[in-house]
Amino acid sequence: MNDQTNVKFRLNNSELWGGLIGLGLGGFVIWSGLKLKLGTINDPGSGYVLFYTGILMCVFAGSIIVSAITEGGPTLASRWENARWSKPLLIIACLTAFSFALEPLGFLLSSIPLMLLLLRLIDPVRWPLAIPIAVLVPLGMWWVLNRLLLIQLPSGLFGIG
Amino acid sequence: MSRYRLKTIASAAIYAVVAALLATAAGAQDYPSKPITLIVPWPAGGSTDISMRAIADSASKVLGQPIVIDNKAGGGGTVGPATMAAAAKPDGYTIAQLPITVFRLPLMQEVSWDPAKDFTYIIHLTGYTFGVTTSAESQFKSWKDVVEFAKANPGKVTYATPGTGTSLHIGMEQIAAMSGIKLTQVPFKGGAETNAAVLGQHTMLQADSTGWRPLVDAGKLRLLMVWTGARSPNYPDVPTLKELGYPMVYDSPFGIAGPKGMDPKIVAKLHDAFKKAVEDPAVIATLAKYDMVPNYKNTEDYKKFVVEVTESERKIIDTLGLAKK
Amino acid sequence: MDTLANVAHGFGVALTGINLLYCFIGVFIGTLVGVLPGIGPISAMSLLLPVTLSGTPESGIIMMAGIYYGSMYGGSTTSILVNIPGEAASVVTCIDGHQMAKQGRAGPALGISAFGSFIAGTFALVALMLVAPRLAGIAIAFGPAEYFSLMVLGLVVLTFLTQGSMPKALLMACIGVVLGLIGLDSITAQPRLTFGRMELIDGIGLVPVVMGLFGVAEVLLNTEQAIKRDIINAKITQLLPNKADWQASAGPVARGTLLGFLLGILPGGGAVVASFASYALEKRLSKTPERFGHGAIEGVAGPESANNAAAGGAFIPLMTLGIPPNVVMALLLGAFVIHGLQPGPLLIAQNPGLFWGIVASMYIGNVMLLILNLPMIGMWVQLLKLPYSILFPLIILFTILGVYCSSNNVFDVYVMIAFGIIGYFMRKLGYEPAPLVLAFVLGPMLENNLRKSLILSQGDLWTFVQRPISAACLALALVLLIAPLLPTLRKKRELVALDEGA
Repeated sequence: MNDQTNVKFRLNNSELWGGLIGLGLGGFVIWSGLKLKLGTINDPGSGYVLFYTGILMCVFAGSIIVSAITEGGPTLASRWENARWSKPLLIIACLTAFSFALEPLGFLLSSIPLMLLLLRLIDPVRWPLAIPIAVLVPLGMWWVLNRLLLIQLPSGLFGIG
Repeated sequence: MSRYRLKTIASAAIYAVVAALLATAAGAQDYPSKPITLIVPWPAGGSTDISMRAIADSASKVLGQPIVIDNKAGGGGTVGPATMAAAAKPDGYTIAQLPITVFRLPLMQEVSWDPAKDFTYIIHLTGYTFGVTTSAESQFKSWKDVVEFAKANPGKVTYATPGTGTSLHIGMEQIAAMSGIKLTQVPFKGGAETNAAVLGQHTMLQADSTGWRPLVDAGKLRLLMVWTGARSPNYPDVPTLKELGYPMVYDSPFGIAGPKGMDPKIVAKLHDAFKKAVEDPAVIATLAKYDMVPNYKNTEDYKKFVVEVTESERKIIDTLGLAKK
Repeated sequence: MDTLANVAHGFGVALTGINLLYCFIGVFIGTLVGVLPGIGPISAMSLLLPVTLSGTPESGIIMMAGIYYGSMYGGSTTSILVNIPGEAASVVTCIDGHQMAKQGRAGPALGISAFGSFIAGTFALVALMLVAPRLAGIAIAFGPAEYFSLMVLGLVVLTFLTQGSMPKALLMACIGVVLGLIGLDSITAQPRLTFGRMELIDGIGLVPVVMGLFGVAEVLLNTEQAIKRDIINAKITQLLPNKADWQASAGPVARGTLLGFLLGILPGGGAVVASFASYALEKRLSKTPERFGHGAIEGVAGPESANNAAAGGAFIPLMTLGIPPNVVMALLLGAFVIHGLQPGPLLIAQNPGLFWGIVASMYIGNVMLLILNLPMIGMWVQLLKLPYSILFPLIILFTILGVYCSSNNVFDVYVMIAFGIIGYFMRKLGYEPAPLVLAFVLGPMLENNLRKSLILSQGDLWTFVQRPISAACLALALVLLIAPLLPTLRKKRELVALDEGA
């Protein structure tokens, strides 16, 4: 195997990082379980199952770490080799912006720009096609939900939608 | 661009903003303009759920908007109201059925809500008929058999309740204390689950509201006692608590409330609609299927009632030694 | 002979014009809400409950039942086409169904799930007519200890869902359990892991988690690959399953139907466990288990039949005991009571026309659904011909709407976006989402029943072994866990190592 993409005890071993995150989460779950009280075996408390699940998490994360160190694993960079990593990042940014806009602007005013951005930024769709899709699809969905199924979508400050 | 045009654009913009503000402020007059969610903190299919569905259906006709039932079960009927108190807007579109556990549980343990502050009380509706049942195949033919068995085998008698701190849990503990026996409670989430538990003899007894009725009628379950003041007309042979020597009546009354800070006009609209609903003969007929009768109290009386109930509950909890430390 | 006369009487009721119309409206709405992920049968039925009050009880309940099993048909469509499971029971359909779609075989996948659903649905109805009263006992034979062991068995099944490393799958399952426990404790009403956030008191919804981990994460993964994305519209060879597909699917459909029907009788989780268990069973029985996860038609046929048969089985405890096994059945129970009927042990004897009429109408409804769904396959496949640059914004919009509609809560949209991002990084690091979802569904039931059984047994752990059903479940779980560990795991490890090294 290639030494460039498969490393053992090195900080950019992606398997190692996955295991460490798991171990951290496991520790947190054990701590939360203890804080919620374990109860007794006759009457297990709120933290009983959390505590033992946390221990299991640590065990599994531990075994991931051990095999990462002994068998090695692909580097973090190799996971994104040949991938257009900027594209998912752009979508994530759009979605984050959308989630901030959804409540104040309402469904229609936030989803139409979102659609437009997604259609134009990733693999640009021609404007004459992008604009009708971005406007008509949210509008159509809104009509079906709001008028036919009586499900209210967020209307925002301006009461549109 | 001429000044005139600028002016029209500016005034149009101002007009639009004002109109938008008016549209949002018009809430109380237009109410309700969309479906209302009624949280029922019990699993779907139990006696509370079905009676609330009948009441909601009738009230929705008065309000002119559908009332959608949302079953959020758990915690002896407190998970639903607690979620509402914490997360819902006081716009009248989210309301909840408020069982007595909402007042009782805060006396027993740390909880996330304060019954005196976190709710807007709307209307008091009705109460339950409770009873204790056992499987028809069980060795217990009467309540006396249960007491005798429990005296010989302390802690071995298990009973299913719809949750810790429910009237059924407290009631059973009071009965046990008075008879000098020890019973073990197993908390389920509601009537559909306790029915299955006692029917399959996973627990020896079931203490629950009248969701057991079709099974008792079919001879699959045996009703050992009822907790009402007088015998139920449907089961004239079944003794009441008083007749068995326990001077108590349990009916666990309940009503409807919303999150704190609701507009009084919206409260009044909801109150009127639900008042009409409990007067509706169809609703009364559905309630009668579960041996329930309307017990109407208006918004003010309901508030007073909450204070009284909390005080009497505090005394019971203290004597049973279940109060929070 | 009695049964035959009853069935004839039932068809007499169901074939009246008005009941046929209600049945059609029901299955039509059911198909519609089934295809829209997030908008499940529950919201549609609650909204339409008042509408049914104007007609006779038969018509009203026929329509409500139609919505329910209609939505079961539609549930797999989005799983196969765009990797968005509309409900927990169709999560497992994503694994192979969406792979088939990527290989241009969306038509056969949709076709086999429609036919499988039809066969399973019909079988469940025949069984419902013949043996309903006798099977009622199964529903109540399961107490807390039995449920606990069944959930353990369910979790063991997840070891079959993964193609990659076992510790990773098990870690994901643990995280699923923990996520499932967020919110107020159902026994003591204490808030757990809510971090003081009000929205978390209610717990995290299944729909946002599933749509994030599957739907959004899939979009993120697809957009980073410039070449891979056009595979979908490369070649669409056939619209319906061919002879080889049928031969491969016959066994899975039969086994899935039986499994689903029996598990469907159990209150809670029956359909979900049935679909996952059927997948595991087929993978275990298959001579070529390595095809699973890469578009094996058996992996679609089995689970889809199982979850539709479970929908039929679920009527048994309701009709015979008055115990609704899930929320949808409870809504039906509500409809019965508001119409002045009381489901319970006496229902069939007191209202034979109603019971047999409903069963007969479900049979007719199933035929309607098959006729309604088959022509739609062509339409759905056309949808995949859209260029991905247009399709993926639509998918995202679809998931946002679905999540919002399932709870009317903007917070759930945030949860979905967060899980989409987490799911993307998980998949990049080789962690699979299916075990997490299965554990997320089963975890809370596992916890609740474990605690109840321990209260009942007063802390005696032997209770799980002493009770026969519970012991059988645990023994089966042990066999499933140990059998493949010995020879195949090593082989699998090598395969993965090769994959990663390549």
